[in-house]
Amino acid sequence: MEVGRVEDCMKKVGHDGTRKSRASGDEFARAIGKIAVAQMCESVGFQSFQQSALEKLTDVTTWYIWNIGKAAQLYANLAGRMEGNVFDVIQGLEELSLPKGFAGASDVDHCLASSGIVREIVQYIGDADDIPFAYSIPPFSVARERKLAPSFSQIGNDGRADLNADKIESVRQHQKMDVSYMNFPQQVNGNGSEGPSSVTFGDGRATQRTVSNPFLAAPLHFGVKEVSHVVPPVKLSDEAAVRYPVEQNHNLDNNMSVMETFAPAIEAMKSRLCDSEVGQKKLLFNQRPAVHFKIGIGKNYPGWSS
Amino acid sequence: MNNMNSSNSQQQQQSSEARHDDDAVLTEFLASLMDYTPTIPDELVEHYLAKSGFQCPDVRLVRLVAVATQKFVADVATDALQQCKARPAPVVKDKRDKQQKEKRLVLTMEDLSKALSEYGVNMKHQEYFADSPSTGMDPASREE
Repeated sequence: MEVGRVEDCMKKVGHDGTRKSRASGDEFARAIGKIAVAQMCESVGFQSFQQSALEKLTDVTTWYIWNIGKAAQLYANLAGRMEGNVFDVIQGLEELSLPKGFAGASDVDHCLASSGIVREIVQYIGDADDIPFAYSIPPFSVARERKLAPSFSQIGNDGRADLNADKIESVRQHQKMDVSYMNFPQQVNGNGSEGPSSVTFGDGRATQRTVSNPFLAAPLHFGVKEVSHVVPPVKLSDEAAVRYPVEQNHNLDNNMSVMETFAPAIEAMKSRLCDSEVGQKKLLFNQRPAVHFKIGIGKNYPGWSS
Repeated sequence: MNNMNSSNSQQQQQSSEARHDDDAVLTEFLASLMDYTPTIPDELVEHYLAKSGFQCPDVRLVRLVAVATQKFVADVATDALQQCKARPAPVVKDKRDKQQKEKRLVLTMEDLSKALSEYGVNMKHQEYFADSPSTGMDPASREE
């Protein structure tokens, strides 16, 4: 059992970092709390204290402050506010003082300004001596500038321009990506149609949005934009499947090129196409060169030791 | 009808006056807070309030919380002091007659736990710590 004096407590504060079982980030605040509580005990009349007793009382004090803040914030949020005011704090104090009791606690509809808690505090201030804290401490909670979200009234007064300005700004951030998207329709369109940018809603903001984001543009009608025709794969045609069902499997196992397996089918189709009466669509087969895919490892890489 | 209206208006005036009085009391109270310097520093209170999520840029509210906490701690300490004084003084020898009733006032865990139990904080303190499970047992029943 260690018995310490108030002066010893102030000297020992610097060596308090030995206990690492508790939250290490709060050591500074706890040390300051211990000094303040020791000063208060001395003013009440104690001459010395047990170390464990002082630490317990400090814990209870910090718990009390934390609970006042929690209750006050709860009452502020219940009233629909982000920041607390004096009435929230008084309500929080009343809630914490209910176990002990105060004058007028059972009165439900009383005005908070004339609450028993306030009167007790006023009385305490009048009676107690003014004992300032022993040391001067810097503000140790990092004060950051809080950016409060704009309230609805602020947004409403400025009109929708602010909202659109935000959207346009966020859209401009992605414009670097969107520029590449915008180039594609101009390359594909040999006819010179402008693609999504040609769609106008009669509103400057809307066009700005549609120009920057092609995915939000209105769908095109058939025939507006020239696109390459879809070539159905040879596999889908029934005759090719009937003639060469087994050959395909064999050839794939032997690691032959894919086009080589279909070469006989393609030649058969070409021979038939010349005779058929189908028009433009199938002539594309003849115009496109056969693509040879090679499956395997190339042996001509420089520096590749075989 | 006229009497009713006049009495209603009188009541309204009285209630508004009461409200003004309460507002005045509150304003005076907050102003008096700034005169008093609590022992608990503002920075500490702001730190723990921010930890619990209470946002208030007003210094007077921070002072209010500090004063309320100081009052709470002072009450607890006063109760513990009375518990300490109420305990009968230990028996001393006749040589020290003059100093018999003088007792060193020490804040102990016993007094503190008794004082805090009234405020809803239940504290149980370990009386002693043992090295092994068989410490303090009858030597005959110890297995060694």
